[in-house]
Amino acid sequence: MVDALRRAHRTVAPDGIVVDLHPDASPPVVEIGSRPTGHVDVEDGAHRHAAADATIATVVRDGLFAIERVVEFAFHTHADTIDELRDYIEENWRNARLDDLTVSRTREAAREMPGERPRAREHVILTVMRPRRQPVV
Amino acid sequence: MAISEDPEGHEIRALASAVSFAGRRVLEIGCGDGRLTARYAPDAADVIAIDSDAEAVAALAAERMPNVVARVLGIEQLDAAPHSADVVLFAWSL
Repeated sequence: MVDALRRAHRTVAPDGIVVDLHPDASPPVVEIGSRPTGHVDVEDGAHRHAAADATIATVVRDGLFAIERVVEFAFHTHADTIDELRDYIEENWRNARLDDLTVSRTREAAREMPGERPRAREHVILTVMRPRRQPVV
Repeated sequence: MAISEDPEGHEIRALASAVSFAGRRVLEIGCGDGRLTARYAPDAADVIAIDSDAEAVAALAAERMPNVVARVLGIEQLDAAPHSADVVLFAWSL
């Protein structure tokens, strides 16, 4: 991953920027309305996202980039039913699944809140990096 | 299937608050099916969007956005000219 940012450093114009978007290391929350009902189990998610943080820290420490701005936001994936959400996540997210308890809790909450759709909420970090002309030695 | 990703537009708003794409040359790494690409590309000068997932890239190419070139490529295979992009965007791909 450090190599990817080194390539980005070569490719970006001196007055350009490199932007990274990735979820933080916390497990995505399953919720309906504003009520949390469980988490998405992402097998290597915490490790993967922590590694992305470490990669950025490395290239900043090496003087390739300076962090110009960090923005955080919630990214929601909505479905009509919890079964639909589970199937979508298991088919489209890497090494991710919803456990049976989360599914049953969400079904129960859905019965109590007709009209509310289940969703998965990820906390995403956007980092804007400005290339340094010469790496800091 | 009625899946919707970020219908609130939090992602593009966060991106727009931090980056101006107007007239910029963009290299997007990990574009997938172009969910994010479609939201900023209309403002950009041109976009090269790469991803190693051929099926996803085909979906993006099918959108036929006039200033977007979609390629099946990992960043390790990318041979872009130095200083050829104003914005390099890692879209959930680092």
